[in-house]
Amino acid sequence: MIRSRTGLVAGALLMAASLALTACGGGSGGDETEGADAKTLTLWHYEGPTSAMGIAWNKAIEEFKAAHPGVEVKFEEKGFEQIQQNAQMILNSDSAPDIMEYNKGNATAGLLSKQGLLTDLTDEASKRGWDKALNSSLQTTTKYDDDGIMGSGKTYGIPNYAEYVEVYYNKDLFKKYNLQVPTTLDEFTAVMDKFVQNKVTPLAVGGAEYPAQQILYSLALSQADRAWVDDYQLYKNKVDFKGPQLKYGADTFKQWVDKGYINKNSAGIKAEDMGVSFTQGKFPIMISGSWWYGRFSGEIKNFEWGTFLFPGNKLHPGSSGNLWVVPEKSKAKALAYDFIDITMKPEIQALLGNNGGVPVAADASAITDAKNKELIENFNKISSEDGLAFYPDWPAPGYYDVLVAGTQGLINGSKTPDQMLDEIAKPYDENLADLGK
Amino acid sequence: MTMTANRAPARTEPASPIKRTNPIRFVILAALLALLLIVIAPLLIIAINAVKSPADYAGGGPLSLPPHLYWDGIVDFWNRVNFGQKLWNSFITSLVVAVLGVALSILNAYALGIGKVKGRIWFLVFFLVANLLPQEVLVYPLYFLSKEVHLYDSLIAIVIIFTVIQAAFGTYLLTSVYQEFPAELLDAADVDGAGKWRTLWSVVVPVSRPTLGVLFTFFFIWTWNEFFLPLVFLVSNDNQTVPVALGVLQGDRLMDATMTSASGLIGILPAMIFFLVFQRTLTRGITAGAIK
Repeated sequence: MIRSRTGLVAGALLMAASLALTACGGGSGGDETEGADAKTLTLWHYEGPTSAMGIAWNKAIEEFKAAHPGVEVKFEEKGFEQIQQNAQMILNSDSAPDIMEYNKGNATAGLLSKQGLLTDLTDEASKRGWDKALNSSLQTTTKYDDDGIMGSGKTYGIPNYAEYVEVYYNKDLFKKYNLQVPTTLDEFTAVMDKFVQNKVTPLAVGGAEYPAQQILYSLALSQADRAWVDDYQLYKNKVDFKGPQLKYGADTFKQWVDKGYINKNSAGIKAEDMGVSFTQGKFPIMISGSWWYGRFSGEIKNFEWGTFLFPGNKLHPGSSGNLWVVPEKSKAKALAYDFIDITMKPEIQALLGNNGGVPVAADASAITDAKNKELIENFNKISSEDGLAFYPDWPAPGYYDVLVAGTQGLINGSKTPDQMLDEIAKPYDENLADLGK
Repeated sequence: MTMTANRAPARTEPASPIKRTNPIRFVILAALLALLLIVIAPLLIIAINAVKSPADYAGGGPLSLPPHLYWDGIVDFWNRVNFGQKLWNSFITSLVVAVLGVALSILNAYALGIGKVKGRIWFLVFFLVANLLPQEVLVYPLYFLSKEVHLYDSLIAIVIIFTVIQAAFGTYLLTSVYQEFPAELLDAADVDGAGKWRTLWSVVVPVSRPTLGVLFTFFFIWTWNEFFLPLVFLVSNDNQTVPVALGVLQGDRLMDATMTSASGLIGILPAMIFFLVFQRTLTRGITAGAIK
């Protein structure tokens, strides 16, 4: 029985409201010791208890308790969806937590900072040295200007971990066809040709979600430099969608489909199914993010696997992870800063790294797990080249769906690269016009 | 007419051997079985994956049978979200909403259906329109109102909201039932000297009990399954209901398929048990109208 929802509710609550008290007033101050004497710290995040972040943060909570006897930590694990949908409403109410994990980006942390719902962490970050622990591409996502655009302005959040897109490969299948890890794009295509000759589709791709656009973006980045990334992501200069970067990305992506590197039916595949098809050993290669790493370490039992960075690229899709933010309504700001400080400590960072996460400020020598060392060494390589290029869907609201539709068109052949580029240029340019740039 | 036509042949050939071997019956049986399988396939897949270890899922995919039963997913999920508490929250809100919703519907429908209040058509149109409004439209007004009265992040807010939502539908439905209410009964009550109040509780409510049972069951299950408004209004974990708790497993980029299945399984079980228990009420209520 399908039924639609109703609207009488407003009337009922209006009646209730007429019975009720007047709203309580409240002022907000903002100095650094504010909330230092608070007796509770309410902390929210949405990472699973067995994920790298969950493990490291649990430890951080323990350390926090040890350092602050008498303070009760009220930790609540939230759903991503709940925070995503409601953050604005929650942070505007008395139910706001004292510190929480939140998504980085213009549409999320940027929007909240613009609405004055987040505490400015700039002074704390420089006083406690958080800013020095983060390299400049990681810092991009922590700073938002008055319009809520990332890249400059005040610091509103601190990330503990990073993420980046790399290439996962099935070592057993590479061995079977006598293939080496490629170091250039040409070698990479040669490897994939070899698989195609042996009737194996080389790439596991989820065309219905983020993976396809990240491959296209990786290809575009192979022709790009930091200035282009700044133009595309931070609107420094106008981006030509038919310029050498995106044109190359779209054309090469189309070639990969035509040559059979990417299966035509992958347009309808979800990211989760892509991951499972790789863990089942159905595809030798998968290009996707470091967020799979911990899961693969625990779950792939039937074959040996490894990773390498997208061959030949200096720039890779990736960014800081989600941020710790302190809501403006937090009643224990000083305690929240102390907690962030603990999460940046070397031992917590090492714990993150040893459990399949990518710590932002870890000493590679403190990572004892051999498998995770590979993950972190790759990240340190990107980091030393300042090579995080963010994600292709960041520049405009709703751009994710535009890019999904565009790459799906390329995969199933309903659009030519030129048509696809025109299609994705339009919302991008409209957003620029909205921003007055 | 149709009833006798149906009944007659059934009486004449109960043990006919030709009928029993009729191949069409097997075809129909097979078709029904296939339909049944299609209907329960999603549930089966959930059940299979709920007792599969993540490694087996990674190796065999969603359709493979688990080599051994793995209960950790269910147990871990139960402990992780403190599921007993969520069950209680869901149960108590659904129950209170169902009771209050039915009570409110009865009072409204008595006035509109039997009391023949002036302009009742417009009341009904209003309730119908209210039924058609999407919840998303209501979120912001409700949010501000509940914040004003300090009911944001409280089960009471959910109870009030859904009592009104369900009662709007209940009023609409029950009013049309009461408009057909036998006038003889009402007249008899009047002759016996029963007042309006007495007539309602001693005559109208007992006679329409099957319909009220259906309303109660539907209100309970609908409220149990509500996701969007509870997601918005129940901020603290201690206040959350079952569907909201299931959302905890939805990650940013990853999903934990086996644990999600485990949570799905224990999430729908209570509603299914409730449905089985009240199944007879439903069928009785639906056929109740046909008798008269």
